[in-house]
Amino acid sequence: MSKKKVALIVGIMCVILTTAIVIQYKTVSNASKITGTSVNSELKTEVLKWKEKYEQLYVELGKSEERLEKIREIASDNNKDSSDLQNELKKLNALIGTTDVQGKGIVITIADNNKVTNENIGLLDDISFYLIHDRDLLRLVNELKNAGAEAISINDERIINTTSITCDGNVVLINGKKMSSPFVIKAIGSQEAILGAIERPGGLLRNELYKYGLVSSIEKQDKILIYKYNGVINYKSINQ
Amino acid sequence: MIILAICIGCVLGAIIGINLPMIPYSYSSYLAISIVAALDSVLGGITSTLNGKFNFKIFVSGFFGNAILSILLTYLGEKLNVDIYVGAVVVFVGRMFNNLGMIRRYYIDKWSNKKSEEKISTENKAK
Repeated sequence: MSKKKVALIVGIMCVILTTAIVIQYKTVSNASKITGTSVNSELKTEVLKWKEKYEQLYVELGKSEERLEKIREIASDNNKDSSDLQNELKKLNALIGTTDVQGKGIVITIADNNKVTNENIGLLDDISFYLIHDRDLLRLVNELKNAGAEAISINDERIINTTSITCDGNVVLINGKKMSSPFVIKAIGSQEAILGAIERPGGLLRNELYKYGLVSSIEKQDKILIYKYNGVINYKSINQ
Repeated sequence: MIILAICIGCVLGAIIGINLPMIPYSYSSYLAISIVAALDSVLGGITSTLNGKFNFKIFVSGFFGNAILSILLTYLGEKLNVDIYVGAVVVFVGRMFNNLGMIRRYYIDKWSNKKSEEKISTENKAK
């Protein structure tokens, strides 16, 4: 066996070996990014495994829902009654937030005013005025609903019947998920009605958000996609 | 020659690895054990080359065979709730140290031989 050939084979093996090492390194360092550099490696592995499982199941759920939708469509194809029911079902699903919806509307971005510090703040001002609070979001959502918004999401978290917006220390909890500034609020509905309602003198935007420089942008968009609520809606106490 | 091949292989492998996607975390323990097995095979291959006993078939079958076998053993261990991979790691790392020791001895011998030859030749010249 010539020396050249030996070197070639060893070189190829080294390619495979280092490729594997680099991939492994990437995976492990990414994993410690998710869980932090905690000491308990067993718990860490457990957490990562559950997370993976959750993601897999979530993808599966989406696929199953698609399949269900198709089966429903096929079933209602040649029957007028059931196709009416099907449309009704679609509408209701859009209403309670279990399907992605699309339409015209407004996208509002509000963020904490980072230019204000303890040094340059006015004497009678309070620094907390310059932050976005849960109550600001609540009032904004309320105004949007009042103006006829049909679907609303904050940072892609759909606002549904059971959604609560609460304060959780320095973040805001929406649907039990932690959110922080900036907040992107998407609302599907009549653009004029929504803009008119939220920009009116004396309204929330004029009175508070503009005044403290919390509004980053307000955009009219013709095609807004609002994702579905990605939790599970459980009824325990409601009896049909 | 072989050292050059190893260097080029490592650089190429690193470039390929950076561009490849990550694997799911639950498989990373299998990849880790197969890396140890492969590393052992490569070191074994280098040692046998230095000794002049390099055999292509043994080397390649050891490289892939050990990696796959260790993955299977790890899998079995997981099913039986025994840490079999620990045993595999002990064996592979032990062999790695053996091989490294042989490589070290080979180069030290070579180096000291050279030194003594030089000494003899300078003495001859002086005469």
